[in-house]
Amino acid sequence: MNDFIIKTSGLTKIYGKQKSVADLNLNVRKGRIYGLLGRNGAGKTTTMKMLLNLIQPTSGKVYIFGKDMGTGERDILPHIGSLVESPGFYPNLTGTENLKIFAELRHMTNQNAIKDALNLVGLPYKDKKLFSKYSLGMKQRLAIALAVMHDPELLILDEPINGLDPIGIAEIRSFFRELCDVKGKTILISSHILSEISLLADDIGIIDHGVLLKEESLRELEKQNMRYIHFGVSDSAEAAQILKTTFKTQNFHVEDEHNIRLYELSLEIPKVNRAFIEKGIELTESHVCEDTLEDYFKKITGGVGIA
Amino acid sequence: MLKIIHCEFAKLKRKHFVFLVILAALLFPIPMTAMFLLLPRLHDKYPTAAMQFDGMWQSVLGFGIQMLLPCILGVLAAILFFMERDNNTFKNLRAIPVTSKQMVVGKIAVLFIFSIIFCLASTIVSILLGGVFFEVTGVFYKLWMSVLMGIMVTAGTLPLVIVIVLFNKTYIFSVLLCIFYSVLNSFAEFMMTELPKAVVFALPVPLINLWSSNDMQNHVIMGDADDLLMFKSLDLIPSTKLTFTILTVMAFTSVGIIIYLYKKWEEC
Repeated sequence: MNDFIIKTSGLTKIYGKQKSVADLNLNVRKGRIYGLLGRNGAGKTTTMKMLLNLIQPTSGKVYIFGKDMGTGERDILPHIGSLVESPGFYPNLTGTENLKIFAELRHMTNQNAIKDALNLVGLPYKDKKLFSKYSLGMKQRLAIALAVMHDPELLILDEPINGLDPIGIAEIRSFFRELCDVKGKTILISSHILSEISLLADDIGIIDHGVLLKEESLRELEKQNMRYIHFGVSDSAEAAQILKTTFKTQNFHVEDEHNIRLYELSLEIPKVNRAFIEKGIELTESHVCEDTLEDYFKKITGGVGIA
Repeated sequence: MLKIIHCEFAKLKRKHFVFLVILAALLFPIPMTAMFLLLPRLHDKYPTAAMQFDGMWQSVLGFGIQMLLPCILGVLAAILFFMERDNNTFKNLRAIPVTSKQMVVGKIAVLFIFSIIFCLASTIVSILLGGVFFEVTGVFYKLWMSVLMGIMVTAGTLPLVIVIVLFNKTYIFSVLLCIFYSVLNSFAEFMMTELPKAVVFALPVPLINLWSSNDMQNHVIMGDADDLLMFKSLDLIPSTKLTFTILTVMAFTSVGIIIYLYKKWEEC
């Protein structure tokens, strides 16, 4: 348990008859960036709200820093920085004034914390611009500043790059990476933008319809699941039958009549080629390919792309 | 808790309504002073300058504090309680963690403080005008009564805050609720002798008015002594203990219900 900063067991949230999150067992390791991937409405935000005790789970438990969130909220929450859904601030106040309110409520004593946090996200300190006049990107940056200003051990960030321009995204990405690599912070980040997660995360969880379908390190995914052997054949149904009967594997995907993907990399390509040819299947190509995270996401969720 | 209250005040920065609330404290002392200076009928009723000032101050209490203040507090409550919903800041506060109970208590403390400031400002302006045009006596009692009025009117207005939070609607709807509550209280005040005692005592304005009239007779020159005698003969004057018990029960029950409703909001 101590290796995991976040651990959930059987976490479930039901709204009426709708299961928003079902039996979720999440494991976030210390000092890692964990990317929670899912389509809109997959249950990412509901999960994050339950992790922060903003909503009560219907069943299941959340353990953060090894403590039960249900009973230890007062001890746990001060060590977490969070950004859930759209940034929420008082429109009649400036960015600095907004942060001062939350710093006071957090009993923060470091006089430079607000200035430092604003500097980190590239916003001016003691600017006279009111929050109501901020652009979407500035609002998002202020929300990130709020999440980090008290130097938390854990960051829980729901779609933190929403509204940022490409340069802003790159800046924030390297900022998160530095927080993790240099300061040893743990970050749970949700997103529906696969490219961002693949550039940032160490570990990945794929959630769909409230169910955590896969949880793996990105390196392991790249090594095991995202590589496959592509066969171009005259009859993919026949080829599939040979893979099932001769090679005793179901770990493949028929793309169309002439293309088939074999994920069982332990099989030797020449042997498979020979088996196809011996059964009268014409072989046009066979080679090892690498899936993108999006391809992998499609395979796991059994559907179309994420966006 | 002091930090939470301080932050509640900080959140109101640049909210012009709050400045107008303090200005509203001048709304009644100025016309009342003019009335007591210019109307001969009032000169007959209050022959000395000291009596005129006391009469003017009691009118300010009656109109400004007991009738206008519940409306102002209702609108201020709507601003305070809708703020977190409208600005999507519930989650930021809960993640600190600030509990619903702390949020509600902080906001209600702001209502009490504003109410006391309003009542004191009304009385101080009355005293300043009285010092110029009439003769001011019993300054400390009047200031003390203002503080008490601020506390009592706020406690009595908290049931209105429940309704505002319960309906969770727009500011305009909240203003309508405030006006309805004020009219209801005024109606009960005019019908005090006709209504059952329990109804009169359940509404804050008649309750506070009856109690304060009785308390003031020893400190202030009363213009409506006959009315007071009639209320006494009808056994309509609540004791200090009963008045404060009713208002305390009203306040604590309201706070409990508001906390419950606020928790429900949060989860939405």
